[in-house]
Amino acid sequence: MLVRALLALAGLLTPAARRQEWREEWAAELDALEAARASGTKGLPTRLGFVAGAFPHALWMRTEGWTMDSVLHDVRYAGRLLRRAPGFTAVAALTLALGIGANASIFSLVNGLVLRAPAGVEAPERMVQVARSYESDPRWDNFSWPALQLIGREARTLSGVAGYQGGAFAVGRGIDTERVFGEYVTGSYFDVAGVRPHVGRLIQPGDDVEPGGHPVVVLSHGLWTRRYGGDPELVGRTIPIGNQPYEVIGVTPPGFSGVESIGTPPQLWIPTMQHPGFGGQLVFEEWGASWIDVVGRLAEGVSFEEAEASMELVSARLREAAAVHEDILVLIAPGVGLDPEEAVEARQLSTILLLIVGVVLLVTCTNVANLSLARATGRRSEVAVRMALGAGRSRMIRQLVTESALLAALATLAAVPIVLAAGSVLPAVFPYTLSVSVHADTRVYAFLGATGVLAGLLFGLAPAWAVSRRDAIVALREGSATGGRTRTRLRDVLVVSQLGLSLGLVAGAALLGRSVLNARTAEPGFEPVGLSATAIDLFSTGRYDAEGGAAFLAALHAEASEAPGVRSATLANQMPIAGGHSRASVRPAGRDDLGFEAEYVVVGPDYFETLGIPIVRGRALRGFDDEPERVVVVNEALASMFWPGQTAVGQEVERGGERWRVVGVAGDVQMRSLRARPNPAVYYPAQHAYSPWMILHVSGEGGRSVDADMLRGVVAGLDPALPVTGVTDLHSALTASMGETRTIGWLVALFAGLAMVLAVVGLYGLVSYGAAERVREIGIRIALGARPESLVRLILARGIAIAILGVGVGFAVSLGLGSALRGLLFGVGQNDPTTLVGASVVMLSVAALAAWIPARRASRVDAAVSLRDE
Amino acid sequence: MPRPLGITSLRILGAIRDGVAYGLEIVTSTGMPSGTVYPTLGRLKKGGLVRSRWEDQRAAEREGRPRRRYYELTPDGAEALRDGVRRMSAVAADLAPGHGGPRG
Repeated sequence: MLVRALLALAGLLTPAARRQEWREEWAAELDALEAARASGTKGLPTRLGFVAGAFPHALWMRTEGWTMDSVLHDVRYAGRLLRRAPGFTAVAALTLALGIGANASIFSLVNGLVLRAPAGVEAPERMVQVARSYESDPRWDNFSWPALQLIGREARTLSGVAGYQGGAFAVGRGIDTERVFGEYVTGSYFDVAGVRPHVGRLIQPGDDVEPGGHPVVVLSHGLWTRRYGGDPELVGRTIPIGNQPYEVIGVTPPGFSGVESIGTPPQLWIPTMQHPGFGGQLVFEEWGASWIDVVGRLAEGVSFEEAEASMELVSARLREAAAVHEDILVLIAPGVGLDPEEAVEARQLSTILLLIVGVVLLVTCTNVANLSLARATGRRSEVAVRMALGAGRSRMIRQLVTESALLAALATLAAVPIVLAAGSVLPAVFPYTLSVSVHADTRVYAFLGATGVLAGLLFGLAPAWAVSRRDAIVALREGSATGGRTRTRLRDVLVVSQLGLSLGLVAGAALLGRSVLNARTAEPGFEPVGLSATAIDLFSTGRYDAEGGAAFLAALHAEASEAPGVRSATLANQMPIAGGHSRASVRPAGRDDLGFEAEYVVVGPDYFETLGIPIVRGRALRGFDDEPERVVVVNEALASMFWPGQTAVGQEVERGGERWRVVGVAGDVQMRSLRARPNPAVYYPAQHAYSPWMILHVSGEGGRSVDADMLRGVVAGLDPALPVTGVTDLHSALTASMGETRTIGWLVALFAGLAMVLAVVGLYGLVSYGAAERVREIGIRIALGARPESLVRLILARGIAIAILGVGVGFAVSLGLGSALRGLLFGVGQNDPTTLVGASVVMLSVAALAAWIPARRASRVDAAVSLRDE
Repeated sequence: MPRPLGITSLRILGAIRDGVAYGLEIVTSTGMPSGTVYPTLGRLKKGGLVRSRWEDQRAAEREGRPRRRYYELTPDGAEALRDGVRRMSAVAADLAPGHGGPRG
């Protein structure tokens, strides 16, 4: 489809006399390519790459007879004309520059995020991401330490396997302390990623052998230059990290920021053996744990498909070794940067953004085409004289196309600063933290150039064709002002499409705006107003065993509940929307056939009260020491899944070989995202499910959030050395979770505004021009006694007709854009009639105003003057 | 012959040498992009080094596909190719390591 369209487009470039022959040849060639592909011939070009060659071919035919002199002459002449009309040139070039710049800017984002692998990774296409999944529950999860070791041993098709896990590190001492995001990495990490040291050496397998025995650190180039002034003498010296001296052994090359494209970029790397988990905790031995991300590199000569097939064996080995999860699977995905789930989202988002800026480019092109047409009207006599003097039609088209090309070139140059600025602006407004940089590389410039050429073709060809039609000569001969019926019709079409496209954007912006508003008043199943949360990490201190940890948490709960301004406090291992999410397998007792990975929520006392989650049936969970039995609360989604039509209270669920009795059913909570359906969830009492990572939730009195410093004070009062990283306001987090929708909403609103202004100016110009052409007729009508109102109606009617047609086109555009935006909407349908009608009414009113002004002016024509002028 | 032929032209002439060929065959056998092959073919045709003829309409219809445009060398083209090959071999010999490489 695309290929045929491109071929048709290229065909337009050929000289008319040889077009038929050209088309026939390319049709046959394309047919031959299809046939060869079907028969499986090797070494064939891609369809798109092959058809791309049609453009140079067509251009060659077109320019065959051109001499350098005539081309230069055209360019000089075009330059002179553009200089002579500086207003037109500036407006047209700037409008186009906006359209082209917006496209290239968004492309630079897509390029950095989707097309380009993280910087500094050698041959990223030979790397793979390794993940854990289940036949019964497809997912993309990370591994336990023993599983990583097993994969390293068993995956023969991978030349190397590496694990990494992010964490926050306190670098420095006293007031000089800085929290830096870094990664624990296995000794194979830098080798697998193919990174070479900028200074010193990087972590090697020998640095990752003995628990706690390798206090060495590799710094990122950024951290090294920012904090240590790029001092090469730093290598070999020690720096304090988390109260322990670490020897700096090397610095990574500039640009390298780990193997992920989304998330806070790591600034230092430490061997996994330094992980505090080796201080006696179970994490490293437990098969069921899930904490380390795994990547690998394909062995020499092994294809991705071969490696993928070999993972079946690895999965089988893992099942034997772990003796749990009969249906566990080891999956790999090609490349690094985005995992498959992220990649799908990033691609969807990219498509939406590119679609929107594509529409903007269309609007700007139609606008400039319209301007050029209007201007061409003034040049009819020039064209007619030159044609009368013997310039052929194709020669005239060439001259006009040269002008368009020159204009497009100017606009493309003017778009460069926009693209450069986007490199720093886009990551800041983008709803995710990007660890890749969005800078303009060769690919972005190539895209910029291609967009410029496309824009030139879009806005240049139509006017050229219309202006150089034979009727230009007739126009000259007759000296009349009505020689351009084609032109007028073409301008009508252009304005209609402009109005339609901008209506589409306006409706899109309105849909997104309503989604953001809906999210503010959404009912997420818990009460976010006045709710704050802060993460407590007892694990990394290494000072708490399960008993001491539980005692600390009980004390913390008691202190926090008593603190001033606090209505209620609790502890849980995850907070809705904002993080800490984890799931675990659970099934109804005695039912081997029905299992599900439900939200795994470990909760302390007063949980449901603090979060405002209603208990629908049964009772809530009690305090730390008050639940001697293994009991749980489930949510409604789980209850209806496991025991449809029955009472859930009194039933039992099975997890990890133990039975838990259901004592209550809670309302559903949007645990992960506002847009997703609530997951089935099981709430376990902290008394029977100790975790050293808990989140303190505090609900303030009267819906006011408690002071963050007060919360820190409560924690510090119990253990001054325990780091409190940040306090999350759940209400803000909920709003922030609609970040994508909001960012894109603003972007679309901005472009919609721009497009609407352009479209309305176009309509205004069209109606003015129409009125000007009919000055004589109007003069006669006035002389004959027509009333001004009837004249206003006469002229206005045409403008309104065009606006209504535009609204019709706009409906189609809106429907298309709405379905593209579907994933970002919340609480409003993609084809929401109210939004569509509202946007249409706004559009029609503005359009009517734009048509009314020139109509009113025309009705005041002085009959005597207009007739005398003729 | 206004100018000696470049490598691109010679490779295309070489691809056509042993009979007739249509564009895709030249693209696949030379490995050059279609955007280079077709314009060069046009130039060679204009310079009289290759000529093209359309396949018989009925023959194409029998195979149920559009008719192809075949290219073949003209005597001038064959001569130009021989001349170019000689020139290139001389250059290659000059560039070979060790004083112009093996001679005779």
